Amino acid sequence: MVLASVLLVSGAGLGVGGFAAPSGASPDAQGPGNPAPLRSCSYSSIQPYLYSRGHLTIATDKPAYPPWFEHNRPTDGKGYESGVAYAVAKKLGFKKSQVNWVVETFNASYAPGPKHFDFDINEISVTKTRAKAVTFSKGYYTDDEALVALKGTPIVKHHTPAALKRYVFGEEIGTTALQYINSRIQPDHVPETFTTLNDVKSALQDHRIAAFVTDTPTSQYIATTEIPHSVVVGQFPASGQHYGLLFQKGDKLVKCVNKAIVELKRAGVLRKLAKKYLRVYTSIPVIKP
Amino acid sequence: MTGTPVLGPDRPSQSMEGSSTLQEPGAGAEFPQNFFRRRRSRLLRTQRGAAITSTVSTVTVIGAIIVAFLLAPGSRQVRATYFNLHDMWRAFIGDPHEGFYSVGKGLVVNIEMFMIGEVLILVLALVIALVRQSRSPVLFPLRMLAVAYVDFFRGVPLILVLLAIGFGLPALYLPVVSTQSAFVYGVLALVISYSAYVSEVYRAGLNSVPFSQIASARSLGLRPHTAMRYVVLPQAIRTIIPPLLNTFVSLQKDTALVSVLGAVIEANRAAEIYSSTVFNYSGYTVAAILFLLLTIPLARFTDHLIARDRGRRLAGVT
Repeated sequence: MVLASVLLVSGAGLGVGGFAAPSGASPDAQGPGNPAPLRSCSYSSIQPYLYSRGHLTIATDKPAYPPWFEHNRPTDGKGYESGVAYAVAKKLGFKKSQVNWVVETFNASYAPGPKHFDFDINEISVTKTRAKAVTFSKGYYTDDEALVALKGTPIVKHHTPAALKRYVFGEEIGTTALQYINSRIQPDHVPETFTTLNDVKSALQDHRIAAFVTDTPTSQYIATTEIPHSVVVGQFPASGQHYGLLFQKGDKLVKCVNKAIVELKRAGVLRKLAKKYLRVYTSIPVIKP
Repeated sequence: MTGTPVLGPDRPSQSMEGSSTLQEPGAGAEFPQNFFRRRRSRLLRTQRGAAITSTVSTVTVIGAIIVAFLLAPGSRQVRATYFNLHDMWRAFIGDPHEGFYSVGKGLVVNIEMFMIGEVLILVLALVIALVRQSRSPVLFPLRMLAVAYVDFFRGVPLILVLLAIGFGLPALYLPVVSTQSAFVYGVLALVISYSAYVSEVYRAGLNSVPFSQIASARSLGLRPHTAMRYVVLPQAIRTIIPPLLNTFVSLQKDTALVSVLGAVIEANRAAEIYSSTVFNYSGYTVAAILFLLLTIPLARFTDHLIARDRGRRLAGVT
């Protein structure tokens, strides 16, 4: 008891007094060497702000799913996100050989502490609460969600707002789909949350869920290429959310990456990449929950 | 604090006093009169000193850890990410419309899983252990099966057993087997895996009962299974209660693994959903605290049982 109270007192005392002078280290500067704000976005002036000088280090999860990446290989520049990453790198003045890829799982990408990449590209939806923990770039793709089911199952034909409530939905952990399902569809059965997208797919094939919710490009890819007899039932009305590149909170490089994204958008590069890899069909019906 | 130091030095002094009376009168005269009193007070002083030293060193070590934690350059961020009271409360309560579930409600699912699981494990493991201990030649194939079962399921990681059952059985499209809920598959995997461990605990307990006990029971006219039921098992189980409770604590925590099967929103999965939605790990801290609230009382209860059992044995009560 005495020991405990002594510890409490010393802990509380430190909590108040110990913070006045944290030995010169400002809590905002977390990157290894981010001394001053970036003045120019030239190749040479961004060097001190990189994880590794002379290289642009980009992270994504493994497996990297199509159509965002192809063959689980981010390095070949194929797939929408790989294409965007290399386009950004080119804008910043890096050659293809100067881009290093590292693996970062989604759940670790927002951990506090130093990041071992310059930015993470992993279909991460930007939300206000998430932006408290990390810094996001401007959006590089709109985050629309669609519903995938097996052909011939009831949900393909019956998906009025009232009917939708009766089905068992599935989704991958960490996507914003769960929030969407619970707040808009409000199903009677608690949606099933799986660790990986592959688990969600096997659950659909084993009839453990009636349908799953994922982003529209992925759902198209799965329905056309991956799961035979599956179909995109429809996509939900635009949520207004978008995918952003994830940076260490307060990272200075984001300013230059944002500039690059804006230029890529203006030059139509992003649209071209989307057309090439995401095969966005306008024929997908919109269903309103 | 005052009880132990007095008892300690008392014992040697008594025994030495006893031995000194055996000596011849002449030899006793050279022995300093207040020798034992002085020796005792010196011992007491040393013990008091040791108590002070250990308190000071504990405070210093733990204090240093706290100081290092609070003064670390990333301390503020770590505390905001792991120990944010607002986030901890939100994770505890949950808000499905915001995309996350209550960690507190999740814990109820964990409790259901380990309560049901533990009962089944205790029964199945006992059966396996008894089969392995049996000597009847008729039971030889069963005995082999029991050995293979224990070797296999004790060697395969629990998470793989979970995935094999939770994802494998539904894929078989069998009538009853493939249509169970993830909760059922999860408990099933826990029971299958843990029974292998617990059967070995039982076996150790059965082996700890001296053979003379069985021999005397048989000589009193008890049949083998009656001797097992009334003589061996009660003694064996009393011995293994602490290791059984230890496995029970382990089972409580491993219920968190069942979340890989998807539909089970237990405490750990609820925390995972919270953290991935909000990018804050405080939900995990809530889950950890809730698990501690379950396991620490059980640990103290185990200590109590061990102490009681030890007391009985030392007192010669069987």
